[in-house]
Amino acid sequence: MPRILGVDIPNDKRTIISLQYLYGIGPYKAELLCERTGIDRDKRARELSEDELAKLATILDNDDDFTVEGQLRRQIQQNIARLRDIGCYRGLRHRKGLPVRGQRTRTNARTRKGPRKTVAGKKGVKELR
Amino acid sequence: MGRSLKKGPYVVERLLDKVARSESSGNREPIKTWARACTIVPEFVGKNFAIHNGRTFLKLYVTEDMVGHKLGEFAPTRTFKGHGGKGGKSGKR
Repeated sequence: MPRILGVDIPNDKRTIISLQYLYGIGPYKAELLCERTGIDRDKRARELSEDELAKLATILDNDDDFTVEGQLRRQIQQNIARLRDIGCYRGLRHRKGLPVRGQRTRTNARTRKGPRKTVAGKKGVKELR
Repeated sequence: MGRSLKKGPYVVERLLDKVARSESSGNREPIKTWARACTIVPEFVGKNFAIHNGRTFLKLYVTEDMVGHKLGEFAPTRTFKGHGGKGGKSGKR
């Protein structure tokens, strides 16, 4: 199996699909990558030559349009840290672990809030049991 | 959706005047304002503001990182006192 940027080993799907197993590469960027490197997008990933892999690696490493994996994760964390530091509304929501973009919190919002914490004595708890 | 680039950032003119005046007069007093929707522009950096939150004016010292945000983002309008009444044993206040 081919390796790109160390850890990630996409499998024997079409190149354009397997590139999307990298964090930060979606359909659009995969298409762009194939175009830039001149790789046939329908070629199986296992058939990629050393040369082609090297080409992909250089673009992913050097081009600012393709921030992927660890670097991208770090960038996102930094952006959030900045919001927290300046104490703006979005930062406050991040600190509290609540939705940031104005969604309702009366119900739902479980992705941000985590598992339900049932409050004893609250109206409607009996019915839930 | 973002604002059209054609229009440029929304900046309250009056506030720009005030900032310029405080700059020239060397006045360190916070600039009192109700213009929560006003974008923070580089001219505001290093200035003190007092932003209305609907009840009082909250002080804010503007740093470089805040450029591009709105003034209102730094003056929360809601006070959350925590949940839990008679049932809960503590309640956060």
